[in-house]
Amino acid sequence: MSKSVGPVLRMSDDVEGIVAAIVDDNPGQEVTVVDRGAYTRVSGDGELRVTRESIERHLGRAFAMRQLEGLMSAFAGRIEMTSDEVRWRLRSENPAPPGRAGEPA
Amino acid sequence: MARMAREEWYDIARDLDWELSYVDYEAVFPEWMSGPGKVPREAWAKWDEPYKVTYPEYVATQREKETGAYSVKAVLQKSRVFDQLDEGWKSVAKEHFGAVALIEDLAVYAELRMARFGLSPAWRNMAIFGALDETRHAQISLYFPHALIGKDAQYDWAHKAYQTNQWGIIAARATFDGMMMNPNVVDVAIQLPFTFETGFTNVQFVALAADALESGDINFANMISSIQTDEARHSQQGGPTLEILIEHDPRRAQWIIDKTFWTSARLFSILTGPAMDYYTPLAMRKQSYQEFMQEWIGGQFLDQLRDYGLKKPWYWDEFVAGLDTWHHSLHLGVWYWRPTVWWNPQGGVSPEERDWLHDKYPQWEERFGPIWDVIIDNINDNRMGLTLPQTLPWLCNLCHLPIGTAGSPHNEKFPVRSYPVTYNGHTYHFCSRPCRQIWWEDRDTLYDKTVIERLLGGEIQPPTVEGILTWMGLTPDIMGDDAYGYRWARPYARTRAPQDRPGRPHGATGQVAPPPGDARPVPVNALFENDFVTQLVIVLDTDTVQEAARKVAEQVVGRRVAPRDAGLVVRHAGTVVPGGMTVAESGISALDIVTVGWAEDA
Repeated sequence: MSKSVGPVLRMSDDVEGIVAAIVDDNPGQEVTVVDRGAYTRVSGDGELRVTRESIERHLGRAFAMRQLEGLMSAFAGRIEMTSDEVRWRLRSENPAPPGRAGEPA
Repeated sequence: MARMAREEWYDIARDLDWELSYVDYEAVFPEWMSGPGKVPREAWAKWDEPYKVTYPEYVATQREKETGAYSVKAVLQKSRVFDQLDEGWKSVAKEHFGAVALIEDLAVYAELRMARFGLSPAWRNMAIFGALDETRHAQISLYFPHALIGKDAQYDWAHKAYQTNQWGIIAARATFDGMMMNPNVVDVAIQLPFTFETGFTNVQFVALAADALESGDINFANMISSIQTDEARHSQQGGPTLEILIEHDPRRAQWIIDKTFWTSARLFSILTGPAMDYYTPLAMRKQSYQEFMQEWIGGQFLDQLRDYGLKKPWYWDEFVAGLDTWHHSLHLGVWYWRPTVWWNPQGGVSPEERDWLHDKYPQWEERFGPIWDVIIDNINDNRMGLTLPQTLPWLCNLCHLPIGTAGSPHNEKFPVRSYPVTYNGHTYHFCSRPCRQIWWEDRDTLYDKTVIERLLGGEIQPPTVEGILTWMGLTPDIMGDDAYGYRWARPYARTRAPQDRPGRPHGATGQVAPPPGDARPVPVNALFENDFVTQLVIVLDTDTVQEAARKVAEQVVGRRVAPRDAGLVVRHAGTVVPGGMTVAESGISALDIVTVGWAEDA
């Protein structure tokens, strides 16, 4: 089964920076980028993450993680979101432990 | 001042709840509204939304989104961009606004129902954001077209459509009432946020934005993709509800997804399919509807479904096969019945467009080409009357779309036919087995009559094409016509010379003679072989079967099926009926299925 996960970004000046941040934050992962004009689909296999720190580095300005929402029209996989990081993943072969997924320790 | 990170306080604030002491829990969260079913009360404490947002974050982000959308609109309104948009593309936007704007408003109530009856405080909290989101969507989807009414009155249907009895709107109301208003909120969460919003809305709001931007409608592309950023968040109410339901009642979870997926797929094949494959100008099409559906539904949504341990719906192969036919059939229907819609459908079958269709859908030519050829000849020979309807297609009692459009001509596996069921003495007709099965399971909660049933029940007066259009709210300034003024058909005039074509229809055409005093009308669900829909045809019980056959043929032959020098044969209840007997003697009665074909094929 395909386990393609990741965000679908709407058109904006920040798309390139976000994509670069995702590539940085997923070393060893093949990140696929499909540009359809009004949207750009960024995909990895099974799991992708992006950190606020990398986004700020690539955009060259402060970035609150909540601002990703305005840039992201959709996403593949399941999302987990904290103030510093967003993850997209499919869990089938790596089931989440019982209880709340992504709950801060 | 340093703020606490959201993670350090979010769960406590969000989980604020209280034990009820003055009233019973069941009185506050009754089964028929909250719908826990087999799920024990304590299980809902595990409900955890994956996409977290606080109220201050929500307000800040929404403000940024609104500023972005409205400032683009303000700038473009001063430009000539709108005037330069293709007429076919404008129809995509008109159809979208009319079909969507007030459904966004309906979704406010669906979210508010979850905000009140949802079984965990976390869920109720998220649904509040959802209600605010949907309020924004309704407002923006009314405000943007409102500015265009002065240029084109059809944009007025952004507000009007949902309040009329236009047939597509009846189909939409039936589907969305069944998704948002009718079910308990556990079912709503699986139907609306999970199945509809993480699945289908992506195709209309993200994929279609690609075609919109390419077509130069920056404003529309910006608006719909902005809307979908809200959906991406609040649709996450579906996952946590689904996880809990699967743990305690997996069969119910699978069933709710399966039925919602099917009705959504039917509806999108009329909303999105023709927009992508016919109305969007050829050079601007990013992908075909089938390709977009494979990307967003066959790929992304199906992966998600499997990730929750659920199976493909039982009708999956039929759905996939339908990506080859449904929207082509529905486009043909919308175009042929164009006075019944509030936008101008683009025929989209010029030689170049036809090559594209053939390339994307290798069986298109065999299935739909012959019908379009008859229409094209009528246009080029100026027989426009034959390109316009004199009756209605028979409509499905579940999806309310024309029967036949869940299949196609020249299609052995999914042919043009009705799937009937008789229940409590009434015959119901369906476009497909899944529609019939879903109706059967939910029959006690469904009561939307089809336009055909309303017409036969005397609700539409006078029962003529004009009377039906008035009843649907369509005025002459709104009624749809071909977006390009039929110019796409002209190139065929050179290659399809009159002498190369089949003859014109023979026999009587036009008005049926008034019935003799004791004759009784018999409305039948009639199919003429190789047509793409079944239709309402009213024969008389005193007609001979041959006369009845001619009445069926008049609605099809020379209109969508080429005439032949051959007699007609009628089949009813699986057997050929002798042409000389009367309808009454033949046993054909009201609401029966009658099939008419050429004698030489019998």
